[in-house]
This record gives sequence, structure tokens and C-alpha cells, in this order.
Amino acid sequence: MNKLTPGDLEKMNKASTDKPKDWIKVGMGSCGIAAGAEDVFNFFVEEVKKRNLQIQIKKCGCAGSCYAEPLVEVSVVGLPSVVYGTVNKEVAIKILEKHVISKMLVNDCIFEVLV
Amino acid sequence: MYTKVILVKDTDLKRQDKTREFYTRLLDYLREGNLHSQIQVVRVADIGVYDKGLVIKILPDKITYVNVQDADIKRIIDTTLGQGKVIEDLVFRSKAKQLRIVLRNCGNIDPESIEEYIACGGYLALKKVLGDLGQQKLIEEIKVSGIRGRGGAGYPTWMKWNFAREVASTDKFVICNADEGDPGAYMDRSVLEGDPHSVIEGLIIAAFAIGASKGYFYIRAEYPLAVERINKAIKQAYDYGLLGKNILGSSFNLDLDIRLGAGAFVCGEETALISSIEGRRGTPHPRPPYPSVKGLWGKPTVINNVETLANIPVIVSKGGKWFAQIGTQTSKGTKVFAVTGKVKNSGLVEIAMGATLREIVMDICGGTLSGKPIKAVQTGGPSGGVIPESLLDTPVDYENLQKLGSIMGSGGMIVMDDDDCMVDIPKFYLGFCVEESCGKCAPCRIGGFQMLNYLTKISEGRGGPEDLGQLRRISQAMQKASLCGLGQTASNPVLSTLKYFEPEYNEHILNKRCPAGKCSSLVTYNIMADKCKRCGLCMINCPVQAISGDKESGYSIVSEKCIKCGRCFDVCKFKAILKK
Repeated sequence: MNKLTPGDLEKMNKASTDKPKDWIKVGMGSCGIAAGAEDVFNFFVEEVKKRNLQIQIKKCGCAGSCYAEPLVEVSVVGLPSVVYGTVNKEVAIKILEKHVISKMLVNDCIFEVLV
Repeated sequence: MYTKVILVKDTDLKRQDKTREFYTRLLDYLREGNLHSQIQVVRVADIGVYDKGLVIKILPDKITYVNVQDADIKRIIDTTLGQGKVIEDLVFRSKAKQLRIVLRNCGNIDPESIEEYIACGGYLALKKVLGDLGQQKLIEEIKVSGIRGRGGAGYPTWMKWNFAREVASTDKFVICNADEGDPGAYMDRSVLEGDPHSVIEGLIIAAFAIGASKGYFYIRAEYPLAVERINKAIKQAYDYGLLGKNILGSSFNLDLDIRLGAGAFVCGEETALISSIEGRRGTPHPRPPYPSVKGLWGKPTVINNVETLANIPVIVSKGGKWFAQIGTQTSKGTKVFAVTGKVKNSGLVEIAMGATLREIVMDICGGTLSGKPIKAVQTGGPSGGVIPESLLDTPVDYENLQKLGSIMGSGGMIVMDDDDCMVDIPKFYLGFCVEESCGKCAPCRIGGFQMLNYLTKISEGRGGPEDLGQLRRISQAMQKASLCGLGQTASNPVLSTLKYFEPEYNEHILNKRCPAGKCSSLVTYNIMADKCKRCGLCMINCPVQAISGDKESGYSIVSEKCIKCGRCFDVCKFKAILKK
């Protein structure tokens, strides 16, 4: 790989604005993994492939609300980005069918704690 | 397509949850006004406000209304949704707000991708340092920021760096102290796992500041995921030329390596940590000479905590002055706390210094899990102390916590309610310190052991009134004569509980009673015949078959066999077990 120069850093920083707009992020810190985030992540990847959805599945670290792990943040164009807590496969299905496909937030699963 | 979202949640725990009722009522009103196709109403699991009745939050405007009554629905729809005006008597603006500097990227970026870190402005601080800032100005900037070490002692970071910079030496070292061992604290782990590059960038900047060409991460082996992610991040940084020779095309070179700690608590102390890296037994040495002058392999060494290093890139990017605006007179910036124990929302909280403990525990973390009042909050792990409920309004900074007999420590915060015994808590922490003491100096080795003996005696009901004086005397000796921080601070939990909860000690000593019902030797369990419904649940659940009887004649506990585990008390649905 080529070594970076100061100019490359600036370019990579500016290029960040045109990344894909729809994404699902799964918290994969130790706390998340202990609560089952790995299964949830794999499940999302599989389902998105199966249903041929245009949404990116990403990993991230612990967002701080360890009591509500596994945490899943969903950002879909046209809806406010929200964090779902204690996500299992059932909730994951709802997130895909309701939030991602029908563009409606899912009831009873949102943890609106993060500022 | 919806243009607005209304989140609803009933936060009053004393009554039956009214979220659903309110939800349908709100929907009815919206249908009446023909707004239901534009506004979605969503029930949420947690709305971030606690004990304020019915709470609604309107997105994307982020307006929060609390204690909403049915009668308010109409004016909310007309005024706020219709005209876009805020209703002042309902609106809630939280005083306690998290401010994320250290955790800025945690939960936002993929920790295994250096590209995402750079996309968020990562390594631009390093570019600035290598480009036009230079050593002198960099240290000046850190001095202006006023940042102090986040590992516990709170030593000004710029002074450490400056001492090491001024020493003329061919070899210098930087070390990131990631040997986090306090029970209940895991801020460093989360930062290493969630944003490893920010720590690496901080370490590279620290190395540049003092002129070091070799650095180490000292991480405990119990953090496999953190080790894996730091390893990956270091490899990526090498690939991109952010580590190694001629970093970013400059003349600055730095190599980074990982050293695993075997999980000894004392190795978080800097001289012991250095011994451990050198391959020797992890025992502390007397200071001075301080590591900044004579550290690893006898060379000047700067050791910084994970959280301190994660702050550095932000300070460099935004300037020392910006950082110095946050916090109190003597303590600048933010602090990450790991709030655990009997609290509703356990997790990480990053808040500007000067926020009160009550804001952290009640407003952000939602109070106790059981709904019982808070008895005390323990900060600083085994080196810290217990702060009683009455002092929770103290603003958190290094000095204030010290005045209360506790310390900031690395940021563990354990919330306790009425079920926690103030003799049992220091006994637990002291037990930890006795176990982790390296045994090199007598005050810590013998003093800790003797104090633990006294506490065990008291908790078993064998204590005498003279024991408290003895505890205080040994504490003083340990504080004054111990070699390192472990021994000097090991008595803090005992001293602070003695200071604020002496009546509870006396209750154990004089009346042989444990008010919290925690010290098993002082507790007895009995079945109250008048309340017992003879269901037999206690008998099934007793692990040692200490409950005799049957459904006809009723049940009783055989006290000789009872191990006082409290299982029967927990499972009884009719509260027929008397715990005394």
C-alpha cells in the first residue's frame, strides 16, 4: 500500500461526504458481543442479501448504553436515525420489514438515550 | 412519507404503564386533524428522561415535553405541530448533557477501518503537529488545555511531557497504560475497542512531543478483543505510513508494539508497569527518579492513560483554549465514567467536569434499578471511597472528590442502595487489595491483611468497640508508609465508610445486627406461619435441604443446616420469610 502524504489525508477526509446514505450499524464491543450482537450482525447480512435490499450493514464500537445491548442504529433517508436496543432476531426482522422497507419506525424497541 | 415523528413513553414507575393508552389517544387526535399520514407516533422503550410522567419527543425538531396530560394533546398538535412553536410550560431542557470528546467516535465508526477514522478527521491532528506546530508549541498547547492524567492521580500531562523532552537521551519511550483493573471500570476497554486509532494517534503525538522513537501499548490479556483491534489498527497505520519510518513524509520515526499484562492490578502503577515490560516481576519502585527522567530501560519514558491519549488529537485539532473552556477551574475537559451497580442504565457516561454525581446517576442513568433510594456512590474503585447520598450534589472534579475522601480514579462509579452493607463493601475492596498487593512493602502487605481481619471480625459479629480505632490507626500507617499508590489508597474505602457510616459499623459491633441484611453471620431467616401459604416453593429451592415440613403441617427452617443464602427469601411470593 502507498504511504500517505499530508495531502492524501485531507482528500480522504473530504471524500467522506459521499458515502452510501442508508445503513444499519451494530454495536460490536465486548458488551455487545456478550449480549449476542454477532448473531444479530450475521442475521442482518444474510437477510439483506436474501431480500436484495440496498442497505449497508456496518460494525461499530460500544455507544455507551451497555444495559440495552445489542444496540443497532438505523439510518434510512427520510427518517430520523434512531437506536434500537436489546435487539434479537425478531426485532431485526421488524427493523428490516418496517423501518427499512416500509419506512416506519418500529414500536417499543427504540432507546432514545444518546444525545 | 412522514414529515415528523412523535416518540411517546410513560416514565412514571409508580403507576401502571400508560404509554399504550396515550399512544392510541394521540393517534385519534391526529386522525381527527387528518395529520396521521404526515406524522408517525412511535412507542419507545427508553426516552432518556426519567420520572417525569408521560413524555413525548418530537423529531426531527428534538422538542421534549414532560408531564403531558390528555388535555395538552390538542395544544401540542395546534401550536407545536401546526405553527412550529414551542410550548414553554411543558418543554424539558435537560441540564445534564453528555459531551462526547473521548467517545466521539465510539459507536459511530467501524473500529476496524482506518479509512472511517480518517474520514472523521482522524490523523489530521498528527499532520498539524508534524507540519507546522513543532514540539515546543505542541507542549504549550497541551499546557493551555489544562488536561490532567485520566488514570487516577490527575498529574498535568504537559509537565510529564516537558520533563521527558528536556532530558537529553538518545532513546526515549512512550507507553499507553491500558492495564485497567478496577472492579466495575471498563472505559478504557470501550475506547480501545471502539476507536483504537484515536489512542494510537494520541500516542504518536506524545512520542513526537518528547522525541521518542519507540512506544508500547500495555494491555491486559483479559481484553482479547481490545488487543485484537489495537493490533489490527497498528498494522493499518504501518501500511499507511502513519507509523514506521518517515511518518507522513516527515523525518519523524516511531515503532509501536503491544505488551500484554497478565492481569496484576499493581501493574497499573507506572513503575511496576515498567518492570513488567522489561520482563521482570511487576513490583513498584520508590520514586523519584520519576519515569519521565528514568523509566523504561533507564531512559526517559512518558506513560499516559488510554483516555488521556484519546483526548490529545482533539486538543491539537481544536486548540488548547477550546478544551480549557470545558470543565471547572482546576479540572478541564470531560471524564468518562463507567456507571454500574444498582443503577437502571448501566453503561458509559461522558460528561464535562463539574457535573454533579446526582446528574450522572439520576438524570442520565435513570436512578436505581429497584426504585429504592440511593444509599451511596462509590467512585475510584478499590482506591476510592464511598460518597453518601447527602453529598451527591457535589460537582465532580479531582479536588472535590478528594475532599470527600474519595478519588476520581480511572472512572468507575458503583451505585448502591439500601441493600448494600457499608461494612461488606470495604471488606470486598480491601479483600481485592490484599489479594493484589505485590508484597514488597510491609505496610501494604501486613496492614491490608490485618485490616481485612478486623472487618471480617466485625461482619461476623465478633468485633469490639476498640476495633474502629485500630482500623483508623492502620489506615493512617498504610497511607503514610506504603511504597506505591495501591497501599497508600487501599484504606480509602474503609476510612470513607467509617466517616459517613460509623453508626452502621456500631450496629454490627454493639447490636450484632446488619441493617442491610448482607452480612450472613448476622442474619437469620424464619418462616412466618401466619403469612405462609404452604406452597412449598422455599423447600424446593433450598440448596441445602434446610427447610423441613409438608403442605399439611407447614414449613420451618432448620437453623443448624441453613447457609443463609437468602434463596427462600427471594423466591417466596407471599413475603412469608422473615429476614432479620
